[in-house]
Amino acid sequence: MPSLYREARTKSTMSTLLERHIVELLGEQNEKAISLLYEHYGDTLYGVAYKVVKDEELAQDVLQESFVKIWKKGDSYDSTKAKLFTWLFRITRNTAIDKLRSLSTKSEKEIQIDVSNVYNLGVDKIKPEFMDVREHLEKIEPKYQIVLDALFFQGMTQQEASDELDIPLGTIKSRLKIGLRELRKIYGNGMVLIPLLIAIL
Amino acid sequence: MKDKIRIFLDTDLLEKYLLGNTSLEESQQVERYIAMYPEVRKTYNELQENLETFAKMHALKTPEGLKTKILVRIRAQQAGRRKFRRYAIAATIAAFIFAGSSYFFWNQSQNLQQENTIVNNKIKTLEADMRSQLEDVRNQFIVLNNPSTRKYMVNGNKKASELKAVAYINPVKKLSYINVRNLPHLPEDKCYQMWAEVNGEMVNLGVIKEIQDKDKLLALPYAEKAISYITIEPKGGNDTPTVQNIVANIKY
Repeated sequence: MPSLYREARTKSTMSTLLERHIVELLGEQNEKAISLLYEHYGDTLYGVAYKVVKDEELAQDVLQESFVKIWKKGDSYDSTKAKLFTWLFRITRNTAIDKLRSLSTKSEKEIQIDVSNVYNLGVDKIKPEFMDVREHLEKIEPKYQIVLDALFFQGMTQQEASDELDIPLGTIKSRLKIGLRELRKIYGNGMVLIPLLIAIL
Repeated sequence: MKDKIRIFLDTDLLEKYLLGNTSLEESQQVERYIAMYPEVRKTYNELQENLETFAKMHALKTPEGLKTKILVRIRAQQAGRRKFRRYAIAATIAAFIFAGSSYFFWNQSQNLQQENTIVNNKIKTLEADMRSQLEDVRNQFIVLNNPSTRKYMVNGNKKASELKAVAYINPVKKLSYINVRNLPHLPEDKCYQMWAEVNGEMVNLGVIKEIQDKDKLLALPYAEKAISYITIEPKGGNDTPTVQNIVANIKY
């Protein structure tokens, strides 16, 4: 067990090192920061944008705008308040929501609707080409995914999710708990795999 | 204490904060809880980890060329910023130069104005001087050239027998002048002073300087039956004539 602990620590230290490096470059207005961010978080943030706007072209616009914002706000990131990814996620998600809002105000036909209702709750149809990226997702049952989705992407409170999905609050709470535990399992697996690999080598 | 944390965690505020959906006040409250309670901090960190994991599960392959597009936009942004900074520096320098030169020119204009005032005043004084002198010369000319002008030779009395003066009196034009030609030398502390008795009052006409005044006509106040006197007074002149020191008198 001590070796596992050490590996886990090494992994987190390594990611922190990379993050710290990126944050430093961002502060120095070094373009390399954007390259590194794109390489490490581009796909994930593109997924985040897509989850909100449900359109590939729009999602690309959102990603572009988000990176420009990240670039401009680079010196305002505070590592004591949030992990780098949390900060990136917030910017991207909010940019995507703003994009949807501006679209819904642009098209007069549409009535002003609450952002959380812009897209329907549910599991997305997964395109075959994304299957490899999303293999982990299948490990979580849809009923847990929906609750996690409501929490992380749609920013619903548990009460709101209960109302929206017509599921009792208690069930939402327990499903969220299980969903998060499943997530941790997947997250934890990565850490178990590394010492295993090292052991094999 | 436990209850407080439990209630806080039940409000979903932490989740809202995680996604950046809290107001400024709510954010401050959440940040306070995170800083104060290890349990809240642990939950927050777990939520952050879970968020990253869950988001990574939804990762999509970014299309080719998007990275280049983003980098081009960033570069344009940076170039704009650099250009702005360059303009800002240039504008600052220009402002300083402008302020400096403004002060310099203001200062210079101020000096010129002062000089202008001085020169103007000088011109005015000169003009006034000239006018009075011209007037004086004109009057002298009138007096000297006028047929009704009478000429009186003035000689000093015993006290100054060498004194010689010529007085010109014109009763028509009511002008009178005196030209003191010769004055006996006086000790250093004495001087000659001219007086005129006009309507019973003694009027001081000033000190006669020995040499320079040789060809100068001195105007006398005109009055019917007036008398002018030359007296010897202490150097610098006197307020009232010293009667015993009268050296000459001119009646006209």
